[in-house]
Amino acid sequence: MFGSRLSAGLNLPQSGLPPAQADPPVCLTDEAALVPEHGEELRVQLLVEENARVAQGQPLMRLRRAPGIALVAPMAGRVARIDLAPGRRLKQLVLFHDPEGDRHRFDIPHSQGSSDALRALLQESGLWRAFRSRPFGRMPRPEENPSAIFVMAVDSRPGAARPDLAVIGREDDLERGLAALTRFVDAPVYFVEARALHYHGAIPTGVTRLQSSPRHPQGLAGFQIHRQCPARIGAPVWDIAVEDVADLGRVLASGYLHPTRVVALSGTALREPRLVRCQPGADLRGLTQPYVRPGPHDVLAGSFLDGRPAHWLGPRDRQVAVLDRAPSPRARHWFRAALERAAHKAPIIPTAALEQSLGGSALPAAALVRALAAGDAETFTRLGGLSLVEEDLALADYATGARPRLANQLRALLDRIAQEEDAA
Amino acid sequence: MRRGLWDREMVALLLLLAMMPMTLAWLWFGGVEALGRLILTLLVSGLWHMIFMLARAQPPSFAGALTGVAVAMLAPQDLSLLQLLLGISFGSVMGELVFGGWGRNVLNPATVTLAFLGFSFSAAPWPDLVPPVAWAALPALAMGVIFGVMSARLILGALAVLGGALIADASLSTIFPAAGIVLALLVSDPVASASTRLGGWLNGALFGALVVLFATGWQGAAPMHVAVSAALLASLAAPLLDETAIALWTARRRKRHG
Repeated sequence: MFGSRLSAGLNLPQSGLPPAQADPPVCLTDEAALVPEHGEELRVQLLVEENARVAQGQPLMRLRRAPGIALVAPMAGRVARIDLAPGRRLKQLVLFHDPEGDRHRFDIPHSQGSSDALRALLQESGLWRAFRSRPFGRMPRPEENPSAIFVMAVDSRPGAARPDLAVIGREDDLERGLAALTRFVDAPVYFVEARALHYHGAIPTGVTRLQSSPRHPQGLAGFQIHRQCPARIGAPVWDIAVEDVADLGRVLASGYLHPTRVVALSGTALREPRLVRCQPGADLRGLTQPYVRPGPHDVLAGSFLDGRPAHWLGPRDRQVAVLDRAPSPRARHWFRAALERAAHKAPIIPTAALEQSLGGSALPAAALVRALAAGDAETFTRLGGLSLVEEDLALADYATGARPRLANQLRALLDRIAQEEDAA
Repeated sequence: MRRGLWDREMVALLLLLAMMPMTLAWLWFGGVEALGRLILTLLVSGLWHMIFMLARAQPPSFAGALTGVAVAMLAPQDLSLLQLLLGISFGSVMGELVFGGWGRNVLNPATVTLAFLGFSFSAAPWPDLVPPVAWAALPALAMGVIFGVMSARLILGALAVLGGALIADASLSTIFPAAGIVLALLVSDPVASASTRLGGWLNGALFGALVVLFATGWQGAAPMHVAVSAALLASLAAPLLDETAIALWTARRRKRHG
């Protein structure tokens, strides 16, 4: 109850980090796919056909609304299948791995100081998708300029890999990437790290270092942004994982995209938590299969709090949770089932659990939950809700067992606000 | 995917558990008569929950038992069965159930019941609970805070004001037992009290101040009547205190972030 404002949060079950492996093994799966993020709509123009051989990093499709933004191949291989929904919306593009494949080289802009050239490189190399713009938590629009960029070198979600492990040995790349970000826009760049795990590499001048408490949810970008520089309509704030910034530095130095990312595998159905290096968009079954205990299980992309069942690693996922499948609920009494369907869901009672799971004094938790339930966009905006995305409310969802989930209520309200803004 | 524990029924059960020291002490000293009263209030409260479940598909809640316990302990003595029935029905229905059940109400239904009984049947004498019951309020409050279902700020705010008043005027000590019991049973209800941090302090302090004000200025009122009236007004002011706290918070943020 006297928790200081920076240490508020919850101690979670299952928060045992995968043992710090100094050098996680590279483990490329045979298949990988390009998929949109959950709820993201990508209308694309294809650049390749099925069965085409592609190099790692080669642009495979471009967005129809913004042809500058490319989606690139996560690995060298052959295009196995392309699934599009009506309106040329991407469902998935599946690749087969080819160990002897090529790597695509990007043209590096000559004048590295030019912001436009860097923007073009980010969009051409697919790294543009690594940014998330708030409010609304989507990929930034092609000509959007952020009012701040948060580089997240901390991840407090249970079972997440320490992001600084991913950049060990890549300090030069990271420094180059951070320097490029400071030149990219005339906006503050924040480097958020865990207080206990100080990053020892070089950080260029112009980057502000922030220390975050290791307790969840303090290590999420949403709460850091809410504290330091709230996102507003017209003043978007971007966040990006530290590994993606190192990838940017790699591209700037060599012209090649880094082929892997560090992914943490955890969960009750695994024999032990693991760290692996795999390609983006990896096949989750293939990735987890060697470590899973026998028996029915669910594979989630993301932590057990905010993950969702998935076949492929999403564009921003760095964590996979493999959970024992809950036994199917026993047949319930017909009256209870009817009551649950007919009734309004039970409201959330403001308790210490709710407050701590929303970062303690970070925001008035009960008022925010009420605004969400009522769909009150004005109060929601006033309380700073525009800085949040679904993952920030996942802990409160878990703690209070809210139905409907707060994260879904938040997404519905954000979508409505975005729609109203677009119409205006 | 997975769910934690802190849903509405768990909070209600923990509140009930926190009330246990007081309730058990009260039953121990009250004997069969107290038990009969408790059973009656629980039955009536449960009945109204059932009626709302059947008529409005509103899931019943253990919070109904909280109402029953508080009313049984605090209601005026010597009421006829009909009067008690009328009071608890009014409190449960108009204080809680018509709003959609526990969690959507504005006032604690037990507070509404007791205020209704106090105003309607003002001749009935208010109960004078024995000291052990009042002492049992302390573990009740402590358990509520440890479980996280009561606001520590609210309780500390109330105790600070009451303690300050006691230092200033020792004759106020007669009001203390009733104020403590009402604080545990009615004021610290997480739904009907302020939910913000500053709001919690203010809400507790307001309750303490109202108790002191009524105790000094209200001639001939029983301690329990004073405490219940203070609880009603403090509860009514809680949304205003929350709004104030949020307005201050947004003003501070606007100054900082532009």
